[in-house]
Amino acid sequence: MPACRSTSVYYNHIRSLEVIDITPIEYRLFRVTDKDSQTGIQDNVLLTEECPVQKVLIQDIKRGETILEARGITKRFPGVVANDQIDFKIRVGEIHAVLGENGAGKTTLMKILFGQYQPDEGEIFIGGEEVRFKSPLDAIDLGIGMVHQHRKLIPAHSVIENIILGHPHAGTILNLKRAEKEVLEICEKYGFSLDLNAKVWQLSEGEKQLVEIIKALYRGAEILILDEPSSALTPMETEKLLTSIKAMSRGDLAIVPFITHKLPIVLRISDRVTVLRKGKVVCCIDTSEATEQSLAKEMVGREVIFRIERTKVEKGETILQVDDLSAVSDKGVVALNGVSFSISEGEIFGVAGISGNGQRELVEALAGLRKPEGGSVWLDGEDITFADSLKRWQLGIGYVPADRIAMGSIADFSLVENVTMNYYFDHEYYRRGVLDTKKIRELTNDIIAEYDVVTPNADIVAKCLSGGNLQKLILARVLSRKPRLLIVDLPTQGLDVGATEFVRNKLIDAKKEGACVLLISEDLDEVLSLSDWVAPIYEGEFMGILPGEDAKRELVGAMMAGIHLDEESA
Amino acid sequence: MRIGSRELKLERRESLSGWQATGISILAILVALAIFSIIFILAGINPLTAYAEIFSYAFANPFVLPLTMNRFIFILLCTYAFIIPFAAGLWNIGMAGQLYAGSLTVYAVLLALGVKEFQSTQLPTTLVILMMLIAAMLGGAFIGGIAGFLKGKYNVNEIVVTMMLNFMTFWVVSDFIKEGGIFMNPGGRGESFELPPSLQPPLIMGVPFTIFIAIGVALLLYFVLRRTKIGYEIRAYGENPTAAAYAGISNFSIPLLVFIMGGALAGLAGYHYFAAVPGVYKIARTYGYFGDLAFYGIICGLISRGNPLAAIPVAFLFGGLSIGGRLVQGKLGMSFGVDYALLGVLMITLVAFQFFYRYKFIWENSQGEP
Repeated sequence: MPACRSTSVYYNHIRSLEVIDITPIEYRLFRVTDKDSQTGIQDNVLLTEECPVQKVLIQDIKRGETILEARGITKRFPGVVANDQIDFKIRVGEIHAVLGENGAGKTTLMKILFGQYQPDEGEIFIGGEEVRFKSPLDAIDLGIGMVHQHRKLIPAHSVIENIILGHPHAGTILNLKRAEKEVLEICEKYGFSLDLNAKVWQLSEGEKQLVEIIKALYRGAEILILDEPSSALTPMETEKLLTSIKAMSRGDLAIVPFITHKLPIVLRISDRVTVLRKGKVVCCIDTSEATEQSLAKEMVGREVIFRIERTKVEKGETILQVDDLSAVSDKGVVALNGVSFSISEGEIFGVAGISGNGQRELVEALAGLRKPEGGSVWLDGEDITFADSLKRWQLGIGYVPADRIAMGSIADFSLVENVTMNYYFDHEYYRRGVLDTKKIRELTNDIIAEYDVVTPNADIVAKCLSGGNLQKLILARVLSRKPRLLIVDLPTQGLDVGATEFVRNKLIDAKKEGACVLLISEDLDEVLSLSDWVAPIYEGEFMGILPGEDAKRELVGAMMAGIHLDEESA
Repeated sequence: MRIGSRELKLERRESLSGWQATGISILAILVALAIFSIIFILAGINPLTAYAEIFSYAFANPFVLPLTMNRFIFILLCTYAFIIPFAAGLWNIGMAGQLYAGSLTVYAVLLALGVKEFQSTQLPTTLVILMMLIAAMLGGAFIGGIAGFLKGKYNVNEIVVTMMLNFMTFWVVSDFIKEGGIFMNPGGRGESFELPPSLQPPLIMGVPFTIFIAIGVALLLYFVLRRTKIGYEIRAYGENPTAAAYAGISNFSIPLLVFIMGGALAGLAGYHYFAAVPGVYKIARTYGYFGDLAFYGIICGLISRGNPLAAIPVAFLFGGLSIGGRLVQGKLGMSFGVDYALLGVLMITLVAFQFFYRYKFIWENSQGEP
């Protein structure tokens, strides 16, 4: 009997399978009982456990019909139910935003849909067929693509090389010409423009993201999951991305962006929204029926105030004076090129810009972690240009770093020990070299209570805290020192609506108490709503310093992209 | 792995208590002894008899126990030399070099006081012994400090530096005690001149007074690392140097400090073996062997997970087995190197069992159809 006469039987269709005869090896007889209890004898069954369902082509399903359905998805982790009976449907051609705070179970759901986790309960159907993913490879084979928040590209390779990496067609010998032709077809279909032969390191964040999207599409993705798609993009790039997403949805793709905040984006692009809270679906509505307020209320479970009124505080004396400060980056190139500014008591000075334009060098030079190449820094009339970071803490500089995990906290230290980070050098907290752990513990408990840090106790290690809670702890620790100058770098990055609101209010409180605040942010809304002064930064230089009330969104956006204030007004 | 309806699963531990760690270590020792039994069986020796011999010889024989204690003190001091930098996340592989340097400075003090020439000194014995102790610490600290300085200032890998310094100091010692070297034994036996009886430190039940130093350091270190400001700075640097720098902890002085402290303790180990252990009282020809023995400090430090108190029983075990293993060789007529092999198996097993510090096996009722 020729080997080609084999019958494929899918794993999930079979109720029982009995081997009747296994000689000779190419010719086996099986008694197969399928789902409907119909028994039959089949020869040479190809039993494929790994990929039980054939790919459902999206073209076969009409626009507006369900392509992917998850029913009763439950996933438990020790101590928490991350996903609790989640029902979720995606239709062809829709943009279906999934909203939720940190820890609401978005990431878990996404990982289940992408095959990284297996659900404890519940089923996933694609085109009506039940599927089980053993790994992301199964999901990719069935047309699910995912673009992660953090780029997974090789910077030294060209765009096309990155796109074909891992593609089954790539094989041993690369056929770049053919690949290029196929990728160009995709670009044309959705109206993307991208130089396929550019190296990835030359691209902007937005272009890199596009490369990842094209990569997923080239791999055959029909359901595209985007994790925080706009988080690292400039306003202009975000516009471009939204246009691309719209174009893709017209091309009959189902798109699922997962978003923590930035509700306006959700409202603008999505067709439907599912909101998760504490592992459960709290609502699933058409976007046309939703408002920013209603979505935020669903996410957080209470009313959220969005517009923070800029509170004017009586201007006091100058605290921080920076003159012509320059610094080089880790790579040795000048990253901060002569910035000058001053901040007074009760002022928030907002530096708006996309990460990598010298903000890190500015902040580190002010915090004493990077030696300035030139210029000077004065705090309350004292020259601290070359003071070390310990000295600056003691002088009253408080710094909340952007990287909460690698710099702002010590993952394996308890919360008490993490609070100690800002107190071990304080004479009131040690005597004859021995730390007063009792006093620090009391302080930690106060912080936990006052800032509502969700934790069982003060002795658990910091890595057990969620991002928002960790940020609260760090901010609380720094603020409890009552700093004269508070430096906050991306204070609300990755935080949910509730935590963001909380952190912003704390910054305003600090200002009211007479501190001066240097706020570094990529979030234009944040800078504009909080700052008394706005300084858009581009390639290590301020493009101008605007009073808060004069800083208009479009103007600041243009300045962030490198247009100098003088050119703009001219 | 599945047995019946139950499944054996590997799971990450959320936390590890001191008792669990102890239990795991004891289990590892038993497993190591069981594995090594194969060697005894192959040699036609009943493993139970062999182990009974080793343990009773090393830990119960009144004549051998002091030898075990000497080894124990030596290894314990070397363990601290490892543990302190380890708390700062740095690896000291240079106990050997630091202890050679310590022993050299000890004998340099004697040389300076004219002890080599006159076989005595007019200064009070206690004072001279104190000077020798301080010299030992300074010598070790100097060699250790080089590695710490290079790490702190230029971020040079401390493992490479400490290891290279081992070779350097080995040959420096060799040069000083060889025929014609300034520390040479008048008899020219390739060892240093001897300590006169008046400067030999007192023994308590056959054990040098250095045992009090070793145990005292354990308590002190335990306290310093856990409760003090400097201990906090060391641990913070060890866990996350970036976060430590952010908090104002110097990335230069911490590496320097821990290597100076570690080196000083290794220097004390040098004093202990070459100026306090009965019957030695000189830089012996076999000083290289003690350099090798010093490496047990690394393994003891790893097994005790940087806990200075836990290091005490571990170092005691290794001290005893290194003595007892030798006995098996002679008494049971086994081939050369059995003692090393036994210790080697023990080390590998203990390190391998550290896996269970992070993971645990759990039995789970598997639900549903396979």
